[in-house]
Amino acid sequence: MKYQTQKIAYWYFLAAMAVFAVQVLGGLWAGWIYVSPNFLSELMPFNIVRMLHTNALIVWLLLGFFGAAYFLVPEEAEREMHSPMLAYIQLGILLLGTAGAVVTYTFDLFHGNWLLGMEGREFIEQPVWVKVGIVVAALIFLYNVSLTVLKGRKTAITNVLLLGLWGLALLFLFAFYNPANLSLDKMFWWYIVHLWVEGTWELVMASILAFLLLKLTGVDREIIEKWLYIIVATALFSGILGTGHHYYWIGLPSYWQWIGSIFSTLEVIPFFAMMSFSFVMVWKGKRDHPNKAALLWALGAATVAFFGAGVWGFLHTLHGVNYYTHGTQITAAHGHLAFFGAYVSVNLAIITYAMPILRGRDPYNQVLNMASFWLMTGGMSFMTFVLTFAGTVQTHMQRVLGENFMEIQEGVHLFFIMRWVSGLAVVIGAILFIYAQLVPRREIIEPTDQYESEGA
Amino acid sequence: MTDQTSVLDELPGDLMIWVLIVSELLVFGAGLLAFLGMRAMDPAGFAADQAALNRVAGAANTIVLVTSGYCAARAVNAFDHSLRAMRLWLAAAMGFGIVFLVVKWYEYAEKARHGIGIETSDFFTFYYLLTGFHALHVVAGLIIFALLMRWGTHRNLEAGAAFWHMVDLVWVLLFPIIYLVH
Amino acid sequence: MSNTILTRALVLLIALSMATTAFAGVLPDAGEVFVLTVLVLSGLKSFVILSDYLGLRQAPTFRGGFTAFLVGFLGLAALLYALPFAM
Repeated sequence: MKYQTQKIAYWYFLAAMAVFAVQVLGGLWAGWIYVSPNFLSELMPFNIVRMLHTNALIVWLLLGFFGAAYFLVPEEAEREMHSPMLAYIQLGILLLGTAGAVVTYTFDLFHGNWLLGMEGREFIEQPVWVKVGIVVAALIFLYNVSLTVLKGRKTAITNVLLLGLWGLALLFLFAFYNPANLSLDKMFWWYIVHLWVEGTWELVMASILAFLLLKLTGVDREIIEKWLYIIVATALFSGILGTGHHYYWIGLPSYWQWIGSIFSTLEVIPFFAMMSFSFVMVWKGKRDHPNKAALLWALGAATVAFFGAGVWGFLHTLHGVNYYTHGTQITAAHGHLAFFGAYVSVNLAIITYAMPILRGRDPYNQVLNMASFWLMTGGMSFMTFVLTFAGTVQTHMQRVLGENFMEIQEGVHLFFIMRWVSGLAVVIGAILFIYAQLVPRREIIEPTDQYESEGA
Repeated sequence: MTDQTSVLDELPGDLMIWVLIVSELLVFGAGLLAFLGMRAMDPAGFAADQAALNRVAGAANTIVLVTSGYCAARAVNAFDHSLRAMRLWLAAAMGFGIVFLVVKWYEYAEKARHGIGIETSDFFTFYYLLTGFHALHVVAGLIIFALLMRWGTHRNLEAGAAFWHMVDLVWVLLFPIIYLVH
Repeated sequence: MSNTILTRALVLLIALSMATTAFAGVLPDAGEVFVLTVLVLSGLKSFVILSDYLGLRQAPTFRGGFTAFLVGFLGLAALLYALPFAM
């Protein structure tokens, strides 16, 4: 650790991993409800479990992004963070808000209260007081990070990271605007949901990936920056008007069908560029960095993001196709692989890279961590295939043949069982990952001579 | 460092403007092909709507725009020896750009008088989307040129002119397909 | 690009545009031949813009790439135009 304030990242990563564990366990629970629909339904209805699963995902990914920023900004700006105290206050606010949201959701406290009650819009259900907390935390964060960058060295990596994080925070302000007209409500809602995951988060991901590849491969900064700018340009070019692919059926004018189809098709390009970037950098790289697990996660993130976000997204983005597949299990397949590939993996990559440094240990060869990569990636890929099959069957029976929804749910029951099993693999992988980060104090599996000669 | 970077170095001007040019060509290319695909399902309807377009205005605008592109290219060349000449050429480019927009405005107003809008038919949805997006690029180009008048450097000018040529290129492909193919 | 090349490009572009206009006047309602000619003329104009205005004359690799794009695009356009005749 070159700078003392990088230690802030440690606490953010710990919090992120804790919420990650909650998130995947919630997923396991929700997945089981698909298998056995009445499972504890009196205690926790499906919608609440799902809400916890998705909200926890967003919270821990953001905690991870903040942690990543606290880790890489001092190193890039070549100076200590402006104020470690503010960073810890920010973490406190975020954790308090998270706890508040969970309790409010679970017991449906203050139902209908404008300030304290749950708001009910998917993914931004947080009570208003939590939303205000999020904004305050974001302001503290941006103030802290921006001042550090302004006073220090400015690099393409921090520029892009800041652009992404500022955009992310400003777009969240639309969470406070909730028009009564349902079409307008949805239109502004996508300003957050879409422009986060298919706009600003992509910038954050590209920037973290660029930092990791810079450190892990030792390729010249100049080359990394050129790629980074291309990724950012194509992401913004396609992503902003790509929002149109959510406007097909919510009551907006029909020309959005063409704008959405064309621009969102191009959204594949930045993900393809990120994948090519990662592999080209590794191939060109002259450094043999000991942290092989971080490299595995970085390459995995870029690859799975391309398939999950790029290929599976394109699969149902054209309005002619989406007319049939909208809201089926195909969406669930895409959502899972895209989030896992793009944002989960990139977070786990930076955590894998940073943790040994933050804890002052050797990275070892991290066999457990790599095993967790394959368990999670394998489980998630299998889940995606299973849900894609289920979605295809569902689309045909429900949307083409016009059969009853509940009968089809029974028809694809086997797929839901297989999905749960693959989810279990992901959960085991996640727990293994957290264990591998926190517990081992020495090399668990010694590299053999044969491995050495292959690895070199 | 490697052969890959040297190939990119071959490109005249800034790499990022080329990323933009390629992206724009993909968008307009996809839009025009989608237009032709929709036309294939209803050639008679598309032909009837197309008859309402003003071909003369479209053809005139082609000449206006390529001339404007010429002025922009000359502005880049003039920069190195005379700031004044650069500004004159750039002003000429902007003048032609404004003429293009005036003609476009006249076309849109004419449609509006006949009660034709973006939701009138598939043909007009594409007509307004594609020519409208293109016209917005013309407006953007004019703003860029206005900024370059004051803050032009060789590098900036080259990028601004390249943007303008891209707008030119898109029109040259768009005009025959929307206005003429039937 | 040198001023001479630019001027030549402008003359070419105006000549090609005039040709398109003249052709549209001579054969206002003709089908395949008209459309193919108009598309080819537009391809030629695009080629001139790419080579001379945008300066790809100096970057043969990229000019090749863009030309391939143009040929592919206009070829597809012609095919889509012809599609209703086949149906």
